[in-house]
Amino acid sequence: MSYSCVAIYLSQNHSKSLNKRISPYKQTFIRLATHYVIELFFLFRLKFIEAISFFRFLPFSGEERELELEMGLKVYADRTSQPSRAIIIFCKMNQIDFEEVKIDLSKGQHRTPEFEKINPMKKVPAIVDGRFKLFESHAILRYLACSFPSVSDHWYPNDLTSRAKIDSILDWHHANLRQGAGTYVFHGAMAPAFGLPLNAQVAEQGKKLMLSSLSKIELFWLRGDSRFLLGNSQPSIADLCLVCELMELEVVDSEERERILEPHQKIRDWMENVKRATHPHFLEVHGILYELKARLESRRNKVSTNL
Amino acid sequence: MGLKVYADRTSQPSRTIIIFCKMNQIDFEEVKIDLSKGQHRTPEFEKINPMKKVPAIVDGRFKLFESHAILRYLACSFPSVSDHWYPNDLTSRAKIDSILDWHHANLRQGAGTYVFHGAMAPAFGLPLNAQVAEQGKKLMLSSLSKIELFWLRGDSRFLLGNSQPSIADLSLVCELMELEVVDSEERERILEPHQKIRDWMENVKRATHPHFLEVHGILYELKARLESRRNKVSTNL
Repeated sequence: MSYSCVAIYLSQNHSKSLNKRISPYKQTFIRLATHYVIELFFLFRLKFIEAISFFRFLPFSGEERELELEMGLKVYADRTSQPSRAIIIFCKMNQIDFEEVKIDLSKGQHRTPEFEKINPMKKVPAIVDGRFKLFESHAILRYLACSFPSVSDHWYPNDLTSRAKIDSILDWHHANLRQGAGTYVFHGAMAPAFGLPLNAQVAEQGKKLMLSSLSKIELFWLRGDSRFLLGNSQPSIADLCLVCELMELEVVDSEERERILEPHQKIRDWMENVKRATHPHFLEVHGILYELKARLESRRNKVSTNL
Repeated sequence: MGLKVYADRTSQPSRTIIIFCKMNQIDFEEVKIDLSKGQHRTPEFEKINPMKKVPAIVDGRFKLFESHAILRYLACSFPSVSDHWYPNDLTSRAKIDSILDWHHANLRQGAGTYVFHGAMAPAFGLPLNAQVAEQGKKLMLSSLSKIELFWLRGDSRFLLGNSQPSIADLSLVCELMELEVVDSEERERILEPHQKIRDWMENVKRATHPHFLEVHGILYELKARLESRRNKVSTNL
């Protein structure tokens, strides 16, 4: 941001010094030209968002541009969705201003024509930043990390090899922990909240993949005294994504959850580390899971009472 | 020490990395890991990639696996890589990231499952599984429709209406090329309704000529072996 301030000061002073000698038309032309030259410099040398910020000071900014910048970031999310929570916590941790637009999956709000315009895949999370729309949580996290200067480097480091290692975990996650844990929790506990029946066989397949994934995480990425994945001393977007996924286990039967996690000391420590590092937002954003758990337990009790 | 790419060309993501390196004049040594012979499960390869999968790279001391992570790393590390593969512009880049992320649980899972359980498993000493193949096929067809609807609108030559291919184009088309090993008539039936997909595949092939054809040569050999095996089985019945 400091580059923007220096450039604005220089361009304004340059214009001022010309005021006495040059006609108003030439002054305007020179002021515009100076702005555009500096703008191009920023686009090639600095972060994109600083260039956008600099544009705020451009004379004769169109109404459209003003509107774009005022619209801000919107995050379309359902907090019962693991990747939705990761985005919300990330924004809060990094002081990214955003408007959270709730899309209630259990009420089918992701299938409305309005939301389809936001994300044609009809899934959450999705973001709208000015006119730019984006879906897929990992792509969103990378975009936010690179676009907002307030984001600390440890979330998605500039260093290429560190960044690549995090990318590797995020890619692995889709077909491993996400698929395993997501399948297990949905078909084993959560489906009734969406008016669907449980499916023990599918849940069991998911559980197998989830347990295998937990072992791999411990073996490869949480070696020794690692506080966070890859032995990092601070969390990255990979830590946040994977731990938000595991938090979904809160909605299954408590004893079952204990049985799953009890053999995995490193996993449990790591989850605690991520919770502490993202306090208080982590707990606040996950509050909805405890409500959902209570509703599901009450439903299970009713069913066993009626039998 | 240079760049080493551990790959099996029958693996879709392996081919993506090899073609990408050749297109961008990235010097590398291709180390063949034959999956059908279990070479991915040796202790030596486990040191390269503890997940025991291809592709994997070693760049000096740096080891990396997962093809999308590898592609991003190569695109950002080697100055010879043209910008269109993985643009510096953040919004363009994010759109490509979005497709790469979507790919895992959609086209990759669908097509990969269908081809493996429907045709390729015997090459690995495993039986076919028609039921699992059918589930994969359903997901694959749904994914093809989504690609056409969202990312190949109008006269798009490449995904997102781009005029040149990105790593997303290469990754997804290499996945679809795996269909070459299934029965030819079945393959025709799958692709026939999808004109945009077929045009897009041709565009990617042309844009990455001659490397695309050369690297995919192995699939035609594999197809011939699988067909010969199928003929033997029906002769013996």
